[in-house]
Amino acid sequence: MQFLETINTALKAIAANKVRSILTMLGVIIGVFAVVTLISLGKGVQNYITDQFNELGSNLLFISPGTGDFGGDPADSFARNKLSEKHIKLIEENVPAIDLISAYYVASENSRFKTNTFLSEIIGVSYVGNKMFNYELEKGRFFTKSEEKNQAKVMVIGPNVAKNLFSNQNAIGERVDLLGDKYEVIGIFKEKGSNFDDQVILPYTSMENTLDLKNFSSIVLKVKNGYESGFVMKQVDLALFQDLDPDEFQVLSQADILKSIQSILQLLTVALSAIAGISLLVGGIGIMNIMLVSVTERIREIGLRKALGATPFNIALQFLVEAVILSVGGGVVGLMFGALATLFAQTFLRAEMTLSAILLAFVFSAGVGIVFGTYPAIKASKKDPIEALRYE
Amino acid sequence: MPLIDAQNLYKIYDIGGTKINAVNGISLSIEDGEFISIVGKSGSGKSTLMHILGLLDTPTSGVLKLNGQEVSTLTENKLAKIRNSQIGFVFQSFNLLPRTTAIDNIILPLKYSSIPSSEWQGRAEKMLELVDLTERKLNKSNELSGGQKQRVAIARALVTDPSVIFADEPTGNLDSKTGEEIVELFRTLNDKGKTIVIVTHDADLAKVAKRVITIKDGVLI
Repeated sequence: MQFLETINTALKAIAANKVRSILTMLGVIIGVFAVVTLISLGKGVQNYITDQFNELGSNLLFISPGTGDFGGDPADSFARNKLSEKHIKLIEENVPAIDLISAYYVASENSRFKTNTFLSEIIGVSYVGNKMFNYELEKGRFFTKSEEKNQAKVMVIGPNVAKNLFSNQNAIGERVDLLGDKYEVIGIFKEKGSNFDDQVILPYTSMENTLDLKNFSSIVLKVKNGYESGFVMKQVDLALFQDLDPDEFQVLSQADILKSIQSILQLLTVALSAIAGISLLVGGIGIMNIMLVSVTERIREIGLRKALGATPFNIALQFLVEAVILSVGGGVVGLMFGALATLFAQTFLRAEMTLSAILLAFVFSAGVGIVFGTYPAIKASKKDPIEALRYE
Repeated sequence: MPLIDAQNLYKIYDIGGTKINAVNGISLSIEDGEFISIVGKSGSGKSTLMHILGLLDTPTSGVLKLNGQEVSTLTENKLAKIRNSQIGFVFQSFNLLPRTTAIDNIILPLKYSSIPSSEWQGRAEKMLELVDLTERKLNKSNELSGGQKQRVAIARALVTDPSVIFADEPTGNLDSKTGEEIVELFRTLNDKGKTIVIVTHDADLAKVAKRVITIKDGVLI
């Protein structure tokens, strides 16, 4: 029997029980939809984080307390945090390849103006922060060296903060409640289209004073153009070894951080997709179940086909092709729903339906059809034609 | 050389430790162009004999030759091939595929043959003409009467141009008038040279054949 003819026969058998076929496919549809959508969203989150890092500007190095061992206790890193003004000086004195350096504090807190409140990321940096992180101002100015020195209660805010606290009113010169103190708005950033728009930037000295902080969250430095960051990282290590032990700090480049975040995200995506893949397995069991029912229902047809010259292989292939069409059909529909979900996700995330996700969906759904269709197919092929013809 | 040559055929079933000799040493020879009826009561072994002669079943022992070739020891795949090209079956309950047109039912055996698909339609239409059902070509099997269904089944049995047609109680599900029409059709086919073997418990039907073989308790009498 020609293969096309087998496909044709299988399609007719599937069409003969439309509702049942659709319900059988549903398991695979949901499985493939879940896997494809999760991969697309995972990719979207990875893209989002990459974009965020690119926004930060290049050539940045981050010195953070502890060893950043993900397996260890994060509280331990903070407890052993010794990063302070002294270390900025050590680096400035010993590492000539540095363009800019700044202490860095980060907290998440509500800022309030009259009745409006907004939860934002509060960042404390030095007066060089705007150059370091490529902040551009829409209105007003960034704080000065003397404001930093005097622990001035001034703040530069992202456009979202301005919008939420002041609606469309003028914000410059207004005083905002923050961290239990009053801060004056001196500048508003241009829109960057990411969570930078939700930030509030203060002089790190003011943040230190308000919150009574002793040690920096981290130290950020920008490498001079023309210097290789790997080389500078080694120099920073050597400079800090004068005061700190190797397990008390670590120097990370932007690429390092990005890589470690992405590897975690990838792992998460794979784990979530694998869990979603379980529904594919359930879909496969559904296919097997319905194919076994189909073999029993069509036992006389099997007997007849055998009497008319069908070989056991012909019969097995017919039922296997039917199972594969059900599962691949489900896969294609699931893929289409996944594509729709990805399109929807693209309204807020750079979600991507990768070629590998599409191939994975195809291979898995075909695989499910083959694995779960084989047993019913073999069962059908082994039917004795005489018994099959006599079956009532 | 006989078309079918059976020597000392036995078919023994073991049901719960009890041995049942459904076919008990039957020797039989069928010549090309014969019209034979195998007649016997229910349980006499006539259907088992037909299944063995039609290669749907294998004998426990004995020799079976088709066109001079030993066939009782062939593999399942080879038997399927022979059934497809050399044997046609007509069943009491027609066994047409449901929700399938008359012509598609007739084409079914061709799908398992080596006959090119370009010839299928033409061959099937010729068979429809032979059984006088051309105008019912596109009717689905459930839209046909009993007699029409059996004609489609006969056309299906003939479509690969087999050496022999085995018909198992072909009029069993039909009224007497339609049954007679089917019998007449077999007679016409035989007149054109086709070998026909009818298995029946109906002595009247058996009489239409040129040779009547009676079977009782698995032996010919």
